[in-house]
Amino acid sequence: MSQPICELFEIRQQYCGRDVLDIPYLSLEQGSITGLSGPNGCGKSTLLRIMAQLESPAIGTVLLNGERTDAASTPGHRDVTLLLQEPFLLKQSVYSNVAFGLRARGMEDEKERVYEALRLVGLAPVAFCHRKWYELSGGEAQRVALAARLAFRPALLLLDEPTASLDEASAATIREAALSARSRFGTTLVIVSHDMKWLHAVSDTVICMERGSIVKQKTTQGENA
Amino acid sequence: MDYLLNGFIRAFGLLFGGDPETFSAIWTTVAVSTLSIVACLAAGIPLGFLLGHNDFRGKKALRTVVDTLLSFPTVVIGLVVYAFLSNRGPLGDLELLFTIPGIAIGQFMLGMPIVVAMTANAVESQDRRLKPTLITLGASKRQMLTATILETRYSLMLAAVAAYGRIVSEVGISMMVGGNIKWHTRTITTAIALETGKGEFDTGIALGMVLLAVAFAVNIGVSMLKRRAGQ
Repeated sequence: MSQPICELFEIRQQYCGRDVLDIPYLSLEQGSITGLSGPNGCGKSTLLRIMAQLESPAIGTVLLNGERTDAASTPGHRDVTLLLQEPFLLKQSVYSNVAFGLRARGMEDEKERVYEALRLVGLAPVAFCHRKWYELSGGEAQRVALAARLAFRPALLLLDEPTASLDEASAATIREAALSARSRFGTTLVIVSHDMKWLHAVSDTVICMERGSIVKQKTTQGENA
Repeated sequence: MDYLLNGFIRAFGLLFGGDPETFSAIWTTVAVSTLSIVACLAAGIPLGFLLGHNDFRGKKALRTVVDTLLSFPTVVIGLVVYAFLSNRGPLGDLELLFTIPGIAIGQFMLGMPIVVAMTANAVESQDRRLKPTLITLGASKRQMLTATILETRYSLMLAAVAAYGRIVSEVGISMMVGGNIKWHTRTITTAIALETGKGEFDTGIALGMVLLAVAFAVNIGVSMLKRRAGQ
């Protein structure tokens, strides 16, 4: 068994004194796909935000690649990225949006990586690179947001309902791109979705959550992954 | 009505004939408004950013003060600046009264609250997804600050244009602090007031047309930037 890329120990989160998350232990194996499901407000997004270091848990420890992390002192982690439920693009061109993470990391081969990421999400680089943020449809914006994360080949990619509010064609492209990230870069995926059929088809493990807790964890083998 | 028509005709003659007195007022206006808007932006944008970005005790009271300053009458600002710069005032030794830098100080006080308030508003109304997006893309604190400023660029330009519009069209400060001295501190607005008082409509109309052109350009700029900022 490979070393876990992410481990959570005794994680608890509270909002306004109310418990919203209680995870005694969770481990994500490198290169695995984990599906997260559950009703709205059950803590899925909070769990992703803690893994992505957007917020610190009230109690508990998060280990990324075996190292303890602290979102309060150093928000974000360069190996981990999260695609938000409602994607946000900077008021810049598609190219600049996709290249932002590469520039933040001082990575080389910027143009090649941007083009590669755009192709992965099904957008023709030459046609889209110079487009402005307001010249994109909702589906295209979501794909550009995903490309911005794929460009730096993250070790852990967290997707928060990536296909919600998308048409079927865009949703299929997003799904394919996410899976390509694992096959090409060995990226570990955590996917939050209400699409149980898809989750069971691609995930190695599907976790069901209710009221902030894990109520069921099932290994599925990821038939189509 | 003939005098108005003749005024327009003579005004075109003054403008296109390169009348030195008319162009002296235009040049003085450009010089003083450039000086004051540069100072307004240099001080106002960082202050507005701090005000909008940080939460601290007394923030609401400070916002109220800034908002009150937005509607400060220009003659009152002129009076305050005059009192400070006059020989008997605390800054009298600087000998800035009836000079272009003196007017610029007054116009700075007029324009800065606009820049501070609009910058703070722009930062406060920034999309709540910006910060998590930047963090998840791996931006450092410095990169986040730069990206946030870039994201508000249209709103900042809007603040600059709005402040410039107020500065270039004010008359109270220029009249009181500048003294309306011919060839020296006479601006477009003070010249219009003087020439109209003397019954010299042609110069007033000529300068009025220049001011209207500036106001028109400013308004076009504001509407374009508002559209961009809202996209």
